Amino acid sequence: MSNLPQQQQQQSDPSSPLPPHLDPITYPRIITDPTLNIHLTLTYTPLNPSNTLTHVFSPSAGANVLFLGTTRDTFENRPVAQLSYTSYPPLALKSMRRIAEEAVRTHNLTGLVIEHRLGVVPVGEASIAIAVSSGHRAAAWAAGEEVLERCKEGVEIWKREEFVDGGKCWRENRERDGEGNLITGSKS
Amino acid sequence: MSENATFQIHYFSTASAYTGKSTERLPAPLPVARLFDVLEERYPGMRKAVLGSCGLSVGDEYVDLDAELGVGQSSEGRVVIKEGEEVAVIPPVSSG
Repeated sequence: MSNLPQQQQQQSDPSSPLPPHLDPITYPRIITDPTLNIHLTLTYTPLNPSNTLTHVFSPSAGANVLFLGTTRDTFENRPVAQLSYTSYPPLALKSMRRIAEEAVRTHNLTGLVIEHRLGVVPVGEASIAIAVSSGHRAAAWAAGEEVLERCKEGVEIWKREEFVDGGKCWRENRERDGEGNLITGSKS
Repeated sequence: MSENATFQIHYFSTASAYTGKSTERLPAPLPVARLFDVLEERYPGMRKAVLGSCGLSVGDEYVDLDAELGVGQSSEGRVVIKEGEEVAVIPPVSSG
């Protein structure tokens, strides 16, 4: 299995070249809003949590929360080798921006970072980083969780589990709750 | 306009697995209401297996599929995919 993201692996038709926004060479893609102190990133390189946090530190922030979602080594006891993520950035960045702006306004945040890694993410490495800061802790805790859940609901990124036994499986977040349990009534 | 007018359509996740490709070009113009028929013809079974749970975007906007594919509508949908536009089939997401 190569490290190339799925778009490249499956790219075979020379009459349909990928537009630049789907070409990994053009990454990272970063959107910032200096007024709301929002930083959004899609990248094919490893996330750097220390750097993530520096974006939200400020003299007016008394609470700084960092969430890292990392690749777990099993899915229902089946050993996972790695995850591979693809995205449709025109929609994904738009969704991330909407979620971020709403969170900053709703919770009166002093800073918010959402970073998502694309391509292969090996076991133990982070696929998503969310950093939130606010004057006091309650808002930062609440906003961190809310932003993560809203990202998992609606940001146009897809995860493929690649198992040690060679199997591959596309996931759907709507099938699992925050404790990893199957949601009754969901498809498959 | 030209006989070779096309639009580009991207497939992700289960849609790319079903079509075996991440992107291709289809003839334009094409009403959104007809797109799923075209895909079903090219990839038999795709509607039931994949498309039923997917969204669709043209440019960077979602299409209201309920309105475009609405049951009982006598006329074809209002949104027409034009030459050079970018369309994406959007399966349920799994970010994070």
